[in-house]
Amino acid sequence: MKEIVKITIGLTLTCLIAAGIMGGVFVITAKAKKHNEYLNFKENMLALLGYNQTKPAPDTLQLCTVYRYLIYQGDKTSLGYMLPVKSKDAKDILYQFIRVNLQGQFVDKFDIDIETAQTNDQNMREKAIAAVLPKDVNQLIFADRFIVASNKDKRLAYLLPGKSPGFKTNINFMLALNSKYSIVGLQILEHQEDPGLGDEIEQEYFKNQFTGKDSERLKTLKVIKEPLPDEQLKFLERAKWAKDAYSEKDIETLQKKYQDKDICAITGATISSVAVVNGVKNVVTKFVYRVKILENIISKQKITVAF
Amino acid sequence: MIENNKSYGNIFLNGILNDNPIFRLALSMCPAVGISTNVMNGLLMGIAVLFVQFCSSLTISLVKNFIHPRIRIPTYTLTIATWVTVTDLVLAAFFPVAYKSLGIFVRLIVVFCFITMRLDVFARKNPVFPSLVDAVGMGFGFMLGMMAIGGVREIMGMGTLLGYDVLGFRPLLFFVLPCSGFFVVGFMMAIFNYTEIVYNRRKREMRSVA
Repeated sequence: MKEIVKITIGLTLTCLIAAGIMGGVFVITAKAKKHNEYLNFKENMLALLGYNQTKPAPDTLQLCTVYRYLIYQGDKTSLGYMLPVKSKDAKDILYQFIRVNLQGQFVDKFDIDIETAQTNDQNMREKAIAAVLPKDVNQLIFADRFIVASNKDKRLAYLLPGKSPGFKTNINFMLALNSKYSIVGLQILEHQEDPGLGDEIEQEYFKNQFTGKDSERLKTLKVIKEPLPDEQLKFLERAKWAKDAYSEKDIETLQKKYQDKDICAITGATISSVAVVNGVKNVVTKFVYRVKILENIISKQKITVAF
Repeated sequence: MIENNKSYGNIFLNGILNDNPIFRLALSMCPAVGISTNVMNGLLMGIAVLFVQFCSSLTISLVKNFIHPRIRIPTYTLTIATWVTVTDLVLAAFFPVAYKSLGIFVRLIVVFCFITMRLDVFARKNPVFPSLVDAVGMGFGFMLGMMAIGGVREIMGMGTLLGYDVLGFRPLLFFVLPCSGFFVVGFMMAIFNYTEIVYNRRKREMRSVA
């Protein structure tokens, strides 16, 4: 009996000490880990826009984030967008929160008091927004966000982070759309798929199949279980193996040839391929619908957005 | 087990040559086959394992008098799990480049049997400093083994070494696939054992001559 008590006490104490050490290290490293994740995210964004170490981003590149919220007021639901707008003298960036009802009509807009550096923190955002909304708002829930990249007042791309349930856990990805809402690039941010199988969604020959497809084509896009033709495979992986083998004209013709083809699944990883395709379809169709409403409202209300 | 008159140098070399975890003890083959596709991965993994082994041996040999003998295996596992979590968090926070290439494999260090075995066989019965030397020796043995396998697989599979293009072409892509890991480890184990047999025979001949 005494032995069992001793054993139980011993194990409990060891578990508590282990938990204490792990918790302590977690608290110490949490800030640095978040900072690293943010840097990784930013690097992925720049890579999607075409900038890397050999071609650094220009100083005039501006990345503006638009946050979408769901607002519950009594029994009414509406959408809210937090937009960066240009101030009167066009030097600073202020933030406005506009409300749109579910039919796509403009409801009202508020000026928010928040600094640019604080917009990354979810709590500060929600505090600043809740301070200006009418008092009978029950709930303010963050839905998603998208980023507009612009250079000297010209819109380069829309960057959409998204996630989709894969074979194991969620696959986090980021899409880049150009101003005509066709895909310019796809980057897989985080996943836990099997190495060698689902892991291949990070390879160029899968990601580059999405380039050039516009929102109309995406509505009927599906996954086909066929091998990639050799010509297309070489073309998709040209950045890795044959950087100078294609001239501008060759790239254009080949791109046009395979533009409307369905996505060829990865051998042995159908579920992961379908997950990425469905996620991309989802994100793009919803975004295109919403952004058209938003653009309409911005031009009608003459809001001077910062992008 | 280990007598008191064995020098620290002997304990250290024991971990690299006589009791090499991959080639002699044949434990923890999972990383040796799966991760050692190039030298850099092998090096990073070896350093992580060395750190975990060092800290675990240190902890266990410090508290060896307080561990009840019937719960020693759960205690070892808890210690190793704590140190692996610490390594994982520290890597994610301060060495993001290494963390990206190691990915999920750092968390697998918990199940490496040779760490638990070393704690039970050595750290529980010996004072602090010999345990540390043994831990460092084992860790180095593992790291050198991984780097050797990684070197062979990288040169034969990709034609590069540590990222630098050495051969200029890719001889046999088969060496990058997981199945080649078994072949390479098997052959290297055979070479390792053969060298040892020849060495012992030479030593015996020299001793009988002298």
